[in-house]
Amino acid sequence: MLGWRGFVMVAVGGFWGAVAFLAVFVLLMNPYGNLPHILFSEHAITDINQRFQYPALVRSGRYDSIVIGASDSRLLHPKALERVFGGHFANLAMNAGQAYEQYRLADLFIRQVKQTRTLLIGLDHVWCKEDALEQRTTFRGFPEWMYDDNQWNDLVYMLNAKSIEISGRRLGVALGLKSPRFPAGYEVFTPPESAYDPIKVRHKLWGEEGPRTFEAAAADNRAHTRSDWMFPALGWLDEILGRVHGRKVLAFMPSHVAAQPIPGSGKAARADACKMRIAEIAARHGASFIDFNIRSAITTDDDNYWDRLHYRLPIADRIVRGIQQALATGKDDPNGDWHYLAGPEMVEISSTR
Amino acid sequence: MLFHSQEFILLFLPVATGIYYALARYQAARQWWLIVASLAFYGWWDLRFVPLLVGQSLATWLLAELAIRRQWRWPLQFAIVANLSVLGLFKYLDFGANILEQVTGLEFAKASLILPIGISFYTFELISYLVDRLRGNAPRYELRVFTLFIVLFPHLIAGPIMRYNEIIPQFAYEPLRTGLYERIGRGLVLFLIGFIEKFFVADQLAIIVDPIFAAGGLAVPTLSQSGAGAIAFALQIFFDFVAYSDMAMGIGLMLGLMLPANFDVPYRAVNLRDFWRRWHMTLSRWLRDYVYIPLGGSREGVVRYVWATLVTMGLCGLWHGAGWTFVLWGFGHGLGLLVCRMWQRYGPPMPTLAAWAVTISYVILLFVLFRAPDLATAESMFAGLIGRGGLGSIWPAATAVPILIAGALALIKVPSYELAMRLRPSWPAAVLFVALSVFCVLEVGEGQPTSFIYFQF
Repeated sequence: MLGWRGFVMVAVGGFWGAVAFLAVFVLLMNPYGNLPHILFSEHAITDINQRFQYPALVRSGRYDSIVIGASDSRLLHPKALERVFGGHFANLAMNAGQAYEQYRLADLFIRQVKQTRTLLIGLDHVWCKEDALEQRTTFRGFPEWMYDDNQWNDLVYMLNAKSIEISGRRLGVALGLKSPRFPAGYEVFTPPESAYDPIKVRHKLWGEEGPRTFEAAAADNRAHTRSDWMFPALGWLDEILGRVHGRKVLAFMPSHVAAQPIPGSGKAARADACKMRIAEIAARHGASFIDFNIRSAITTDDDNYWDRLHYRLPIADRIVRGIQQALATGKDDPNGDWHYLAGPEMVEISSTR
Repeated sequence: MLFHSQEFILLFLPVATGIYYALARYQAARQWWLIVASLAFYGWWDLRFVPLLVGQSLATWLLAELAIRRQWRWPLQFAIVANLSVLGLFKYLDFGANILEQVTGLEFAKASLILPIGISFYTFELISYLVDRLRGNAPRYELRVFTLFIVLFPHLIAGPIMRYNEIIPQFAYEPLRTGLYERIGRGLVLFLIGFIEKFFVADQLAIIVDPIFAAGGLAVPTLSQSGAGAIAFALQIFFDFVAYSDMAMGIGLMLGLMLPANFDVPYRAVNLRDFWRRWHMTLSRWLRDYVYIPLGGSREGVVRYVWATLVTMGLCGLWHGAGWTFVLWGFGHGLGLLVCRMWQRYGPPMPTLAAWAVTISYVILLFVLFRAPDLATAESMFAGLIGRGGLGSIWPAATAVPILIAGALALIKVPSYELAMRLRPSWPAAVLFVALSVFCVLEVGEGQPTSFIYFQF
């Protein structure tokens, strides 16, 4: 029998001993690389939740150029981008990245990196959402505490099973038992190209009804509603472009035509209005804006996609080449892959409107 | 700051209890320390309400003191009215305005005041003291112990609703007296039991309940869905509140104080009167002593009995929330209590199992009103329960398993606090405590813990 004194000693001592041990373990392993480095000088990514892993990449000082965006920007290869823009690129696009989350990451990048070289923002529909202020994050959680300037206070949020598990993986990397994941943020998340099944994909793209052509919808004449259209996330875009130095490039990522609004519809008019607003902002800040989200040889070919939002790996290279060409010519693509909606040379035009 | 949060467990509780025991031999100092710690705890929720809490406590004590010194009754009466007015202002003003709007057709401005957390609980404690002073039953207390009685952090937010005379005398007990380690040990275990009840039972049931009631507001659910929603909520609210009460009692024990129990296995009740003797016992006791009996109780004829029962239970509903769903829930229980008494007096004896089934079914049905955000949702849920939305499918495992486990736990004969009291100290128990408590702390560190249902009252 232990007796009550012994019970309390074991219970309290054991509890605090275990909690202290785990806290020190997390501190030393630094699973997200957000704490001050004590044991390891380099952060190694060992988890897939990009919202928790990317702040360390921004703070690492290795990258003067980044891509932000959602999963439809994740396949843009940092090395390919470096060949176009120079500098050191990290691809920090997040799965289902909301506009606010991308804004917070860009904000951290601007605060942390003094000599920013290129900011490439892979835009998609999240920037045009009416409820972007309310729908700031996803079920994945967003660790605001990692995005402030105090690294020590992060520890109080990290005493949990997930952090301990990732700390264990970090230890595995240190012992050579595991390999770190996507060192520059980049990772091919789509299935192997050899596994591509056009029939399955077609079903995903078009559903039971199968492929169809989209006739232009009856023109939406509700012009009076247009003045009410709100794009609240574009305030964040405006702020970011106003603060960042170096080259600023906005590229609206190409979703499959089945995911695009039907031409002539109210949704299409709203999407166009959003793009026009983005073009104005880009022009005001000397940023380039290239729109790939149009009916084009890319977006109308089912074989270019895994699903309505995610294009195949070779298309990523085509987008990078398209960006390069668009910046070089300052014009729409003669083959129709993109529209060039704004560029640094348009600053003058914009400011004299 | 919730009891089952890391900041409470790893920071507030060790600091509060550590300094309390460091000051254990100095009665005034340790009591002042508990007042300071309790106000810090309360201020953590919302600093703006600390002056209200302190003001209500201080004003009540000053008026009681004035009544004692001058032998006047009016300061006590005034204090009762003032405390009820404060509660009415924060909790019922907009509800009253809405009723007036419906009656008169006029439009009134809404105050939209934020309800100070715990106000319904501590106001009732203040009133019980004032009424007993009027009756000549309550002793005179120093400001320090009176304030501590009101603000003591384990019970401040959601009870148990204590009587001054069951806790104030305990403040004088030497915390280091014989049985120190037993009290701390049992307190730790009870706190852990409460944590598990909240985090691993009540919050898991909420995952079933919330979407069903949300969908119920849009369309009539199936019998299967509405049944799951109703039963799961009846279990959720029990475990949510019993968890809070167990943690409160556990913290009390760690401080050397015995707080009253709030639950006595209520879902084993075999009639509605029995249920109310087991459910939220400190509220039932308060309503009995300060509403039901003064209204005549059961000893002044049938008419007075019916009146006293309906008014008491109507007020019970209204105490929980300013809304018609709560009022109807209270009246529903009032009617149930009347039928129960009539049946006991004039009806044939009912087999125990049948009596239990009828009682629990009625309680579960009424909890639909309690949970529904408005009458339309409640109506939709009831329509679902009588099959208007179709029968639906058999519960999936994700619904059935938590309900069955929680149901079985709710029917265990021994209340959780008694389990903690029966525990014998041993190595396996201590090691199990360490493992479970570390696991709980890590689990709750994953995200923001959810609040207790009763914190909104």
